[in-house]
Amino acid sequence: MQNSRNTLQFKIERTIPAPPSEVFDAWLNPAIPGNPWNAAEKFVLNAKVDGLFYWALKGASHYGRFTDIERPGRIQHTWVSPNTLGEESTVTITFTPQGEETLMTLVHSDLPDHERAKGHVNGWNYFMDVFREQFGNGSRKDYRWDEAHASAEK
Amino acid sequence: MFLVDQLTNVLTAISHPTRRAIIGQLASGPARFSDVAKPFDTALNAVTKHLKLLERAGLIERRKQGREVYISFRAEPLRQVVGWVHHYERFWNKQLDQFEQYFTDKKRKEKR
Repeated sequence: MQNSRNTLQFKIERTIPAPPSEVFDAWLNPAIPGNPWNAAEKFVLNAKVDGLFYWALKGASHYGRFTDIERPGRIQHTWVSPNTLGEESTVTITFTPQGEETLMTLVHSDLPDHERAKGHVNGWNYFMDVFREQFGNGSRKDYRWDEAHASAEK
Repeated sequence: MFLVDQLTNVLTAISHPTRRAIIGQLASGPARFSDVAKPFDTALNAVTKHLKLLERAGLIERRKQGREVYISFRAEPLRQVVGWVHHYERFWNKQLDQFEQYFTDKKRKEKR
């Protein structure tokens, strides 16, 4: 998606088999696999409004500031890295109850629309549907964070 | 280098359910035109048009073997499209997959 300020955003959704409060807490707990702090080699995390975070992986440093924390419904923070060209992007995560489960929605917005990012976002959702149907998530197995960063830094 | 025009061709090709079904069929191995057309309740020339769009995107190849023309699937253009996806989108997809898996495993253990 592209807006008038020439930034990009995308939305990813997952249904998590646990209530929102549990999912919310797990997202901010570095011991739980899947959240960014867990993926980091080194991190600093101060999860409160205006609290800062830092995390690094394979030499790429990421910084941000929490702008909204409303347990158990919403987390929002800024996200700055070499891959945002040093500009502030925004990550908003919402946790919506769905029976006994949680619909988790992650929106990464205000991403600079630079050369590497052009032309792909609109195609992603239905492309992934094809991959899920036909290739059993095969594309994700090929993805490596360090390789993606290496190519991004060229 | 994967050109934007080619990207458009690939995304156009996979935007139609019939063409996705054709890809699904060919993913298990090459097939004759008549076999490709058989499952679909559409005119043969409609199937031909779908195949032309898939061929333009580089997603299928035709090969003549004796009197038969065999059509086979080429996955490479799809892999190249993956390379165009914003790496943070891939990053978050990977992270959320792990996150979801953690809860799925946890729930499974609790049921035991």
